Amino acid sequence: MFFYYLDLAWRSIKKTPMLSALMIMAISIGIGITITTLNIYKMMSTNPAGEKSGKLFAVQLWSQGPDAWDRFDPQITYQDGFNLLKSDIPRLQTPMFRTGGAVQTEDPAFLPVLQSRVRVTNNDFFPMFGLEFQYGQAWDDSVDQDARYEVVLTDELNKTLFAGKNSVGKTIYFNAKPYQVVGVLKPWAPSPNYYDLNNGAFGNVDTLFVPYSLAPIEEYGSWGNTNGWNYESINNYAQRLTSEKHWTQFWVQLDTPEQVAEYRQWVGQYIEQQKKLGRFGSPKADVQLSDVDQWLAINKVVPEDNKVLVGLSVLFLIVCLVNMLGLLLSKFLRRAPEIGVRRAIGASQGQIFAQHMVEVSLMGLFGGLLGLAWAWGSLMLLTKKFDLESSLTHLDTSMWLIAPMIAILAAVVAGIYPAWRVCTTNPSVYLKSQ
Amino acid sequence: MLSMKNISKVFKTDLVETHALRDFNLEVNEGEFVAVTGPSGSGKTTFLNIAGLLEGFTHGDYFLDGINVSNLSDNKSAAVRNEKIGFIFQGFNLIPDLNLAENIEVPLRYRGFSAKERKRRVEQALEQVGLGARMKHLPTQLSGGQQQRVAIARALAGEPRFLLADEPTGNLDSLMARQVMELLENINQSGTTIIMVTHDPELARRAQRNIQIVDGQVCDFTMYQPNAARSASHSSVDKLVANAQG
Amino acid sequence: MLHIKPILSSLLRSKSGPLLLLLQMILSVAIVANASFIIAERLNLMARESGIVESEVFDFSIYHFDKSTDLVAQDKRDLELLRAIPGVIDVAPTSMAPLSGGGWSSNFTLGPEERAKSTPNTGMYMSDEHFINSLGLKLVEGRNFYPQEITTELLEDGGKMIVTKAFVDKVWPNESALGKSVYMGTQHYVVIGVVERLQTAWVDNSNLEFSSVLSVNYPADYKRYLVRAKPSDIARLKGVIPELLHKEYPSRVVEDFTTIAERRIEAYRDHELMATVLTMMVVLLLLITSLGVTGMVMFNIQRRTKQIGTRRALGAKKRDIISYFLVENYLLCLLGGGIGVLLAIQLGQQLMSLYSLPMLEIIYPLLTVVGLFAVTTLAVYLPARKAAKISPATATRSV
Repeated sequence: MFFYYLDLAWRSIKKTPMLSALMIMAISIGIGITITTLNIYKMMSTNPAGEKSGKLFAVQLWSQGPDAWDRFDPQITYQDGFNLLKSDIPRLQTPMFRTGGAVQTEDPAFLPVLQSRVRVTNNDFFPMFGLEFQYGQAWDDSVDQDARYEVVLTDELNKTLFAGKNSVGKTIYFNAKPYQVVGVLKPWAPSPNYYDLNNGAFGNVDTLFVPYSLAPIEEYGSWGNTNGWNYESINNYAQRLTSEKHWTQFWVQLDTPEQVAEYRQWVGQYIEQQKKLGRFGSPKADVQLSDVDQWLAINKVVPEDNKVLVGLSVLFLIVCLVNMLGLLLSKFLRRAPEIGVRRAIGASQGQIFAQHMVEVSLMGLFGGLLGLAWAWGSLMLLTKKFDLESSLTHLDTSMWLIAPMIAILAAVVAGIYPAWRVCTTNPSVYLKSQ
Repeated sequence: MLSMKNISKVFKTDLVETHALRDFNLEVNEGEFVAVTGPSGSGKTTFLNIAGLLEGFTHGDYFLDGINVSNLSDNKSAAVRNEKIGFIFQGFNLIPDLNLAENIEVPLRYRGFSAKERKRRVEQALEQVGLGARMKHLPTQLSGGQQQRVAIARALAGEPRFLLADEPTGNLDSLMARQVMELLENINQSGTTIIMVTHDPELARRAQRNIQIVDGQVCDFTMYQPNAARSASHSSVDKLVANAQG
Repeated sequence: MLHIKPILSSLLRSKSGPLLLLLQMILSVAIVANASFIIAERLNLMARESGIVESEVFDFSIYHFDKSTDLVAQDKRDLELLRAIPGVIDVAPTSMAPLSGGGWSSNFTLGPEERAKSTPNTGMYMSDEHFINSLGLKLVEGRNFYPQEITTELLEDGGKMIVTKAFVDKVWPNESALGKSVYMGTQHYVVIGVVERLQTAWVDNSNLEFSSVLSVNYPADYKRYLVRAKPSDIARLKGVIPELLHKEYPSRVVEDFTTIAERRIEAYRDHELMATVLTMMVVLLLLITSLGVTGMVMFNIQRRTKQIGTRRALGAKKRDIISYFLVENYLLCLLGGGIGVLLAIQLGQQLMSLYSLPMLEIIYPLLTVVGLFAVTTLAVYLPARKAAKISPATATRSV
């Protein structure tokens, strides 16, 4: 019976090509717009931490004095980062900040390349954020205590410097200082790069990792944000390290809610202790722990514009539905005499209803597929025109399922009333007037 | 009143030329009640459409109320239809979305009458057909005969010079047909010229004059003694109509 | 001749069809009004002038990775070299590039004491006496820096400062700013000049127009330079400059050549994206609504063929038939527009409360309704002309 209905539906669509095209067009445009905005939204709101999302926590401290910022700053001071490392509650923890510099190899013909995304961090960073190695491994724990000039390269930088060959043991020059390569990562590009959202959430992936313990020695400049809430005269790196400026990020891994509570308490005690030393002068002095989901929300990774667009495009889809509903009603009612004959021959209301539902579903399917094509096209256009990150505008595979589903569902919703109207109309009315 | 001289109407397709009317001549005087009969396909409907300025013709001249209406623009012929001609259709052609008063108003609005004037005429016309109390009803709430009376009221409301009736009783049963026929006769007696197209010779016999169209030409015509004809034919018409309705 | 009453009663008696069209119009007005408001808001943002001769200016950066470099001397030599390149109009060092999204800003205080009143957050350019000419700024009051006023570090006793008119109007309304001082800690800067307009690095900040230029050309390993040249020379200079600077001193990376025009595109990219997607939405929505109207009119014409013929027989002129359909849809427009305006305002308020959007201006829903009428006219007129061609003889045709 289903195939008979399908056949009828196809004939019906062909019989009124203009009207059918109009309806399929309406629904496809609605789907196209919705999928376009939904796709960007979905890509932006992806949580790349996966299953670790609930275990990784960004640490924020209200260390500013009274009358200063009225919120937690996304970063903390160097000295607080240094002190927090003393806790043994988190299984993994690391302070970090962004720096940059010129990278050279031992090959004199290789012109220095400027790397503006260099991460200064502890070796806990790699297991915490799930980075995997194709060659070698992270630097040893001892390096985080006693600084040695060792680095980890991303696959991308390794390709630039060493044509992608195993470079473990080789020497590179970072700001004219020699470092030994101890590890090369597998291709890796979290989107958004959630562990440091200060300078844009998308398309800025770190390429080089250097030990945090080298920071006081090499005096790495911060290439990220530095925020201060009071005026401090800073003339050298030592002053920067002991200042109240917020410029490092701090992440911990806490595996259980008990650990979270314990850690929170521990930081609370630390704050009390610092108060006695004259720091944390605000009555609001406190700690805030955010897991990755909360962190992405706090940092407004999905721009408001995007939410507005998704909202408006859903309304848009509703307009398309109403439009389709009106046209379907016209089409079905115009066909009422034919239905009258079918009813007279013995079709039940249910059969007539099913026939029409199959027809609208078929149109929904066409609309959905066409809508996907629109979405794909518009995403391509937007990528091209606005030079967007392809990670944001690549049509997510889930959309291949979502688009036709929304379309069919939408078409069915729009079709129920017209189909009901047709199948409940008394057939004799039409038979007589013929 | 109405004068058609050598009117021809030719329908052309790529393959055939059909002569719907050929050298058609007709004179109708003021106050006459003329019945036009003829078999199907004889050109009755074409004659009706031309007489009512609903379509144009190929050759000839047509004078209506002393004016040559042969080559009027679309707008002018609309105005002539509106002012001089009242139409009564076989299918009544009432507008289903409008109530009786609004239906009767339709031609009056196109004529640009004031609301007050429209109201007066609608009431008068409905009174004339005996449906004064039903102004707010919708057409579907009425019987066929009542609907046709509304259509007649609509035709009368504009106080036309003549009425064109197309099988006015074709969709009605005998009782209603008789009522409608009597109504038309009353209207005619009050001075309105009527041309009625019908396929029913019995009905036609009640008119003062009969014209038969065969193959697009006036075939013959008979003049009846008005009063005698009317009284004599009542019963036979009823019988015939009753038979026709089966 | 507008026969509103019978058309209205006919509309009221017909089922669902017009109701759906009405619903569509209401939603369309609500969406289009808000979308076009947001579009206009973004276009206004993008139209703000930076105060810079944008087509003639580009910037680039030099990164010295050799710690032994004498940055002050090198900067002096580099500037001399750069200014001597044929085709270069002027060059200035700077602490940040306009519209770039990154740089320096500060809340100055109006006195040395800690509790003194502070200025709004202000963009801080640190440069020399070539800055104004390099960007093509318009000095409206006071004077430029003298070369001898430029220092290489932030001195305790401060220095000279040029600010924007917007900054002056905010901090010292109805007063001349010349000779006034602002403080950073204990350092103070004396205002010696006012430029008409100069935007900071952050286009989405409400303090975009509050800029200051300090008479400091401080040494830094990573430093940016602003170059002004004729637009036709810029492409060539992007090649010439790194070559020249590397020849002069090799231990550095010279890169990131970006014109201010490119910075503007980048800075407003998200806004332009938003405006583009919304424009797409508005156009498509109007298209869909007009197709809906056309579809409905076409359906009605088919349904009312006999009726139209009858009307024609009863004396309706062609234009009466067209105006019948127009009036019918105008009535829907009027009602749909009216409710749509209310819904638009509601939607605007929702958007305002949920997101940082400004309040919807009432003119947008009103203009949208006007647009709806225009689109409807077109959408009705085309099929209605076909309806007017229905022969009055249709009336005598039996079923």
